[in-house]
Amino acid sequence: MKRLISIVLVLLLSLSVFTPILSAQEKIPLRVAWWGSQDRHNRTLKAIELFEKKYPNIKVYPEYTAWSDYWTKLNTQAAGKNLPDVIQQDYAYISEWATRGLLLPLDEYVSKGIIDLSNVAENSLSPGKIGGKLYGVNLGTNSLGFVYDPELFKKAGVSLPKAGWTWNDCKEAMSKLKSKLGIYGIEGITTADAQVFKVWLLSHGYWLYSDDGKSVGYKDDKFFVDWFNLLLELQSKGGMPSIEVDAARGSLGVEDMFIVTQKSAMALLWSNQLVAVSKAAKERPLRLALMPRAPIPNARPANYLKASMFFSVTSQSKYPKEAAMFIDFFTNSLDANKILFAERGVPISSKIQKALLPFLGSAQREMFTYISLVEKNSVPVPPPDPPGANDVIKNVWNPTVEQIMYGKIAPDKAAAEFRDKVNKILQQK
Amino acid sequence: MRRKSQWIVYYIAVFLLGIPMIYPVLWLIGSSFKEHAEIFANIGSIIPNKFTIENYIEGWKGFGNVSFATFFRNSFIIAGIGTIGTVISSALVAYGFARIPFKGRSFWFAVMMMTLMLPAQVQIIPQYIMFNRLNWINTFYPLIIPRFFSGVFFIFLIMQFIRGLPIDLDESAEIDGAGRFKIFWWIILPLIKPALITTTLFSFYWTWDDFLGPLLYLNQATLYPVSLALKNFADPTAVTNWGAVFAMSVLSLIPVFLIFVFFQKYLVEGIATTGMKG
Amino acid sequence: MSKRERYNNITGYIFISPWLIGFFVFTFFPIIASFILAFTKYDILTPPRWIAFDNWLRMLSDERYLHSLKATFYYVFTAVPLRLVFALLVALLLRPTTRLTSLFRGIYYLPSLIGGSVAIAIIWRQIFGLDGLTNFLLHLVGIKGPNWLGNPSTAIWTLIVLAAWQFGSSMLIFLAGLKQIPGSLYEAASIDGASIWSQFIKITLPMLSPVILFNLIIQIINGFMVFTQAYIVTSGGPLDTTLFYALYVYQRAFQNLEMGYASAMAWILLIIIAFFTILAFKSSRLWVYYESEGIG
Repeated sequence: MKRLISIVLVLLLSLSVFTPILSAQEKIPLRVAWWGSQDRHNRTLKAIELFEKKYPNIKVYPEYTAWSDYWTKLNTQAAGKNLPDVIQQDYAYISEWATRGLLLPLDEYVSKGIIDLSNVAENSLSPGKIGGKLYGVNLGTNSLGFVYDPELFKKAGVSLPKAGWTWNDCKEAMSKLKSKLGIYGIEGITTADAQVFKVWLLSHGYWLYSDDGKSVGYKDDKFFVDWFNLLLELQSKGGMPSIEVDAARGSLGVEDMFIVTQKSAMALLWSNQLVAVSKAAKERPLRLALMPRAPIPNARPANYLKASMFFSVTSQSKYPKEAAMFIDFFTNSLDANKILFAERGVPISSKIQKALLPFLGSAQREMFTYISLVEKNSVPVPPPDPPGANDVIKNVWNPTVEQIMYGKIAPDKAAAEFRDKVNKILQQK
Repeated sequence: MRRKSQWIVYYIAVFLLGIPMIYPVLWLIGSSFKEHAEIFANIGSIIPNKFTIENYIEGWKGFGNVSFATFFRNSFIIAGIGTIGTVISSALVAYGFARIPFKGRSFWFAVMMMTLMLPAQVQIIPQYIMFNRLNWINTFYPLIIPRFFSGVFFIFLIMQFIRGLPIDLDESAEIDGAGRFKIFWWIILPLIKPALITTTLFSFYWTWDDFLGPLLYLNQATLYPVSLALKNFADPTAVTNWGAVFAMSVLSLIPVFLIFVFFQKYLVEGIATTGMKG
Repeated sequence: MSKRERYNNITGYIFISPWLIGFFVFTFFPIIASFILAFTKYDILTPPRWIAFDNWLRMLSDERYLHSLKATFYYVFTAVPLRLVFALLVALLLRPTTRLTSLFRGIYYLPSLIGGSVAIAIIWRQIFGLDGLTNFLLHLVGIKGPNWLGNPSTAIWTLIVLAAWQFGSSMLIFLAGLKQIPGSLYEAASIDGASIWSQFIKITLPMLSPVILFNLIIQIINGFMVFTQAYIVTSGGPLDTTLFYALYVYQRAFQNLEMGYASAMAWILLIIIAFFTILAFKSSRLWVYYESEGIG
């Protein structure tokens, strides 16, 4: 009898040891948010399925929206302290989020090997570094470029863009394209969130913002005036669509671009959009050319490698380790990347890049080739935009560009006003 | 003779005016049957060069494993239940404001109208924080429950209709000993059918179309209504399947249009008791 | 307080209790919060910081703010009358009940149904683009039309036309109101020999006036808060000619992360709308006829 009781007691005791372990086998919930269109959503969801297979103790809760709504939602969630664990981040906002403590520095997970970055070049990682700490892992490298239609160039008898070409070469090509084919030479460079102006400055050796982020980064307004005179010249000669035409088009998407309908020989494009544009152009072979350099002797390159987007971990996340594992999976899993198919840009892991090459379609291959070309023809990535940069773009740059291009104000007068307004905004932050 | 030619002129006018009304919708429907590449290349025409239903098939698939069947189901739940709540509560409140001279009536009416005048954009953050505290995020609650308590637009609408009814109706019923609620239910309500129908239509349609609430409060795609799912199709930086957007937009129109057609019958009938004619 | 008054107070509050409860539970906090936020600097990501009247003063020297005021007022004073007039005319037109009119009511309501969808942007661009339908039709009569959407002088008109085109909801409300007018009134007037026009002036308009007031006020309120169309079709351009107030509020709040400033702007808008609404209500004493008395 006594023996029976002690056996029962031992059994009961051992059960109580097991129960906590049993309940700990509930899955870890990981909320992941991103933006995109149907294509990206589907790919990402499939990649997530693979992740869940590899880590059956993690259940991923995807939250996806379109770009235009993403930040409305994310900002609201931030205010309500209800952010997801992993969020897709953008260059325009990442430093604001990082400096406000909303993102988790990932360096400890890298050094512990949870995020394996051994196959990643440093300059692919630096865009995500703010204040020396890694706040976002680059999901795909891209760079600005001019996508061009080689057949149209051949038809007009214009030589194809070469590495190191300048704006003078570019203008020449465009005027020939106009006279022979009657089409635009370029589109999309007018407002473009000041990206083209920024690389214009880079090529001259300057940057839009000063080092301390409190003022405009160039001393001589000549750079501003020259740039806009160039744009006005292109507009008046029909080298690019007039501001009226552009205003009517809005920003519908790649399907709407003139290069797709062959009304323009070139277009401004982020390299990771090449696949979308090619698809819209019914897989006509399109290629990417480097951004033209400034028309001065010894002009620096006008390209830099950028992260198309990042994955970051939010600082309020209850499962930072699992979040880091998720990012690692996206970066290093070949199976996942075969599904994602470089839709967000060229993967940063050189191992993945090599492994994907045989599977790539021609547009993707061109994108990969272009990034290697940029690697050899680029300046180091500029510092992240200072606080207030959004204000500058939306409330100073855009209206100023419109006023100049509609002929309401001359570039030299606008240059001084621009400088004043921008400095005012930056100094208040 | 004159009568008939009047009718003919009348119908011609109505028809001609109807063309600009319906043209964009026809364009939408036509484009939904065009191939992806043709949509923008051949943007002027309504009739597709090559007729295809691939947009409907591709579009219906939705995202991941969540198809538009789920999205439509969610839309019906949110819009359907929400509308029932709005109609009932709006009618009650409207009667109170319109017919009962209670203390503070003008004050509360002014407050109520004021709530219509503050842009939603600056209210959504405090609202979100509030619903988050209630743990209602990622549920339908924030989208449905408030509708049982609000609907200022409809309250105001029904109020104006009630005020178009002669007060003698109420008074004679009171003399007969009827209480407020009986008057409301048996006398007023039947006479404001057009207003109730209109409320139902609009409430349903606006809820159906609303995407800001769903965007903020629903995290999982399995809960998305059609309005939100449609917005997720289009991204200016990636490939957008515009054909699918159009196709699903057309499908999204159908329930609302059908509800309109169905309820229109009642709008048309008028009310027999006071001999109202069209 | 008499027994009657007490009875009225109790039943009154019971009847409005759904709204009253909803107000205190769901609406009160966000409204008060947004008012307080108007006195702060709030970037949504970090807690708000009190800056008293800075936001309010800033509006006075904000160029784009003044553009938004101009664009919004212009819109309200053109689109609202247009929409109401169309709605009333078409409602009168479609008042007779035949099978065909039922069909046409549906057709005229269709534009309102595709209201805020992304498709509208594409369709509108297709109609008002340089090579769009409008210019094609104008070309047929020998006029060369401008780039409606791209030209700063005409862009806002594309949105005004859009608003007028979507008169369907106002039309339905007018129809409902027309249905409620007792046919006996018209019969009696016909017997007395009144013309159609005088029947319109003496019967239709007065009996419809509560509904006209409703539509007027609602359209004024909605007009001042116009957002979606500008957001989707023109994004506020070109040259800020369609930068409607609510759109600018949204941009400041969510694109610039300046929710405090946006809240201050929102409250100014409330004051503006309240002003015009009160104006409309006060004027209604002169022209609105109620079968029964009440508020307003």
